[in-house]
Amino acid sequence: MAHITINQYLQQVYEAIDNREGSFCAELLSFKHPHVANPRLQLASPEDKCQQVLEPPYDEMVAAHLRCTYAVANHDFVEAYKFQTLVVQSFLKAFQSHKEENWALPVMFAVTLDLRIFANNAEQQLQKKGKGQPSEMLEKAAEQLMSCFRVCASDNRAGIEDSKKWGMMFLSNQLFKIYFKINKLHLCKPLIRAIDSSNLKNDYSPAQKVTYKYYVGRKAMFDSDFKLAEEFLSYAFDHCHRSSQKNKRMILIYLLPVKMLLGHMPTHQLLRKYDLMQFSDVTKAVSEGNLLLLNEALSKHETFFIRCGIFLILEKLKIITYRNLFKKVYLLLRTHQLPLEAFLVALRMMKVEDVDIDEVQCILANLIYMGHIKGYISHQHQKLVVSKQNPFPPLSSVS
Amino acid sequence: MNRRRSRRISHSQRRGAPSEGQWRQRDKEQWQGEGKAQVRQADEEEQKPRQHEEDTVPKGTCQTMCPAQELRDREAQNRLHHFEMLPGTEKDRRPKGDPSRAVKEYSRPAAGKDSTKPSDLRPPPVLLKTVNYLINDIAAAPSLYPWTEVYTFVFDRLRAVKQDMIIQRMSGLDCVGILERTVRFLIYASYRLCGEPLRLYDPRINDIHLQEYLSWLLDCYMTKTGPHPNQEEFQSLSLLYNLGSARTMQHTMQLPLRLRSTPNIKLALFINQAFLERNPVRLLRLAQKLNFLQTCALHRHLMTCRQDLLLVYSHGYSSRNCRFPLDRLAKLLFLDASLTAQLCRSCGVEVNKDNQVVFSKAAFTEPGQGTLHCKLYHSIASEKQRDLTVKNIVQSCVETNKK
Repeated sequence: MAHITINQYLQQVYEAIDNREGSFCAELLSFKHPHVANPRLQLASPEDKCQQVLEPPYDEMVAAHLRCTYAVANHDFVEAYKFQTLVVQSFLKAFQSHKEENWALPVMFAVTLDLRIFANNAEQQLQKKGKGQPSEMLEKAAEQLMSCFRVCASDNRAGIEDSKKWGMMFLSNQLFKIYFKINKLHLCKPLIRAIDSSNLKNDYSPAQKVTYKYYVGRKAMFDSDFKLAEEFLSYAFDHCHRSSQKNKRMILIYLLPVKMLLGHMPTHQLLRKYDLMQFSDVTKAVSEGNLLLLNEALSKHETFFIRCGIFLILEKLKIITYRNLFKKVYLLLRTHQLPLEAFLVALRMMKVEDVDIDEVQCILANLIYMGHIKGYISHQHQKLVVSKQNPFPPLSSVS
Repeated sequence: MNRRRSRRISHSQRRGAPSEGQWRQRDKEQWQGEGKAQVRQADEEEQKPRQHEEDTVPKGTCQTMCPAQELRDREAQNRLHHFEMLPGTEKDRRPKGDPSRAVKEYSRPAAGKDSTKPSDLRPPPVLLKTVNYLINDIAAAPSLYPWTEVYTFVFDRLRAVKQDMIIQRMSGLDCVGILERTVRFLIYASYRLCGEPLRLYDPRINDIHLQEYLSWLLDCYMTKTGPHPNQEEFQSLSLLYNLGSARTMQHTMQLPLRLRSTPNIKLALFINQAFLERNPVRLLRLAQKLNFLQTCALHRHLMTCRQDLLLVYSHGYSSRNCRFPLDRLAKLLFLDASLTAQLCRSCGVEVNKDNQVVFSKAAFTEPGQGTLHCKLYHSIASEKQRDLTVKNIVQSCVETNKK
């Protein structure tokens, strides 16, 4: 592969297309395949050669691909991205003309993946030079992927085996990756809706389903829909292949905060197994109602949490921490008429200095409103009056 | 292989790559509207080398605020604004234009209209001069006309400035000065004109444009390495204007630590956290530390925060014997007693004849659309305005916080 001539290469491509060999054709167009390192293929102007062997639009597609290999060999990812755009465009023209057949799906997977990767690389290169608008290339790549998605989603004629709809989940996953990167999560919604209403949704490959649920779970987290987030992320974690430690760890990074918000703290072993000890102090702080430790833990690992995008969600654990602290106060005083002062004292002991009695009342009122405390505040008596039965319902039963 | 008779797509059909700005305008239309995936053909990029691209970027040569041709045309068609008329000719059948006060107006891009003529485009220094004129001499000047008219004129002329910037593909430091002033103006306007009738001022339109300018400004800070002396101010204004937006917060959290730890940004972050924790008491307290313009940015959220306080307290204090002093509530809301009572009434919260609030979770109701007039509750901002002039507010680079 690394030594074939351009003619041999083009002949292989021609035959792959002619025989509808999707996987092989995909390899010949993918940057994961060794042919891209072959200098004989890295031509600056391959158009003529391609036109001699291939029909339009395949000639354009392959010519652009070869130009792309040239650009990549020169480490010019901005150029590479430009040419990969042409590859995807030409591919789409061909793909649309395939009536009631889907043999080219592997090709689509390969070229769209490379498009996203080059968009990433190109943006990084531009950023270093101080040029270009942030996210510009990724947004354009997303538009192209959406065009492919639409072609797949609107394939209503073919039977299930030949349907292009099988490409939808892969493309959704690619689009999710872009939308999360450019921080435009609301764009995930139409994709989720389309997949949800598809009759194929449970039949995609396990790998695709895990990736899909991972992103949909993260989106649910972002929307503060924690029950849904737990469902999706748990599925992803449970079905993720045992050998993909890295992926399992990534899923856990998002599953853990959700579970903690629902009152389930991870064990020490779990954290150690997946090298997530950043969460251990957070866990300890929340279960003990220790606001001081929580603030310290969040501050200590701030960079990590921000990079993963979970810092803001972990801040929500403050409410749970207040609840746990106040429950301790209740258990200590053993009465269901609790003076507000007691809560203030508890907070001071946790070195929370900037909260006064008014704010304590507000925090308590909020906990009551959210259902974490059953009772009411009496301003006249400056007391929190809690229900004699189960005044602090279990966290999992509340949100 | 089937001989495909498909047509070759001729490379001459390739359009020019869209300018960043045009793409930006489509950006707003495109990504608005939940779930509407608009159809857009991916543009075929030109394969010319970079330097040729630079030759085709329009460069303005017009040294006046209004291109001479446009002034002549509008004068002939009697389409001058009274702010642009030569004094003394306003009552004439065809008033004359004053070249020192006429400003290029916004016009929709249209097929067949060439918006790239250099003589019609104003280069960066002229654009900045124009913006300063609009702020100092129109927005901040005493006027016989209601401020809604002043706003409409300035808004439109600023939009034309933006258009010139986009056509000339201005970026980075050139834009920053213009965008900063524009953002300040629109934020101030969102407060001052709050409550005006819809036909005179539409808060939604102000909001859409403000978000676009703000987003462009923050992008400029990101792509061009500094120094950006006002970045702290505008990052914090963005956080306050977009209170509760996870996206804005996430963006802020990813700023360099040194920037994130500046007092204005920290305060804005704390206010956002108080909002997310649903602690309106804390939020309103922290808001006291904001300066006037920051309060303007935040003000549209304050009604929601106050309502939220009443909602949460309606649940937290819900009991038959509840007696919560109105004065105390007023202090928490940073309103006077009578406005507090009015707000309670609008939310179904009972205030008895001894000025005690009787909270009850069953009683609280969301006030209907249009029953709450934000303008009545503006004291939190108006107190801070004191002797600040419009010019101070929009041109000022340094505003000190009340500590």
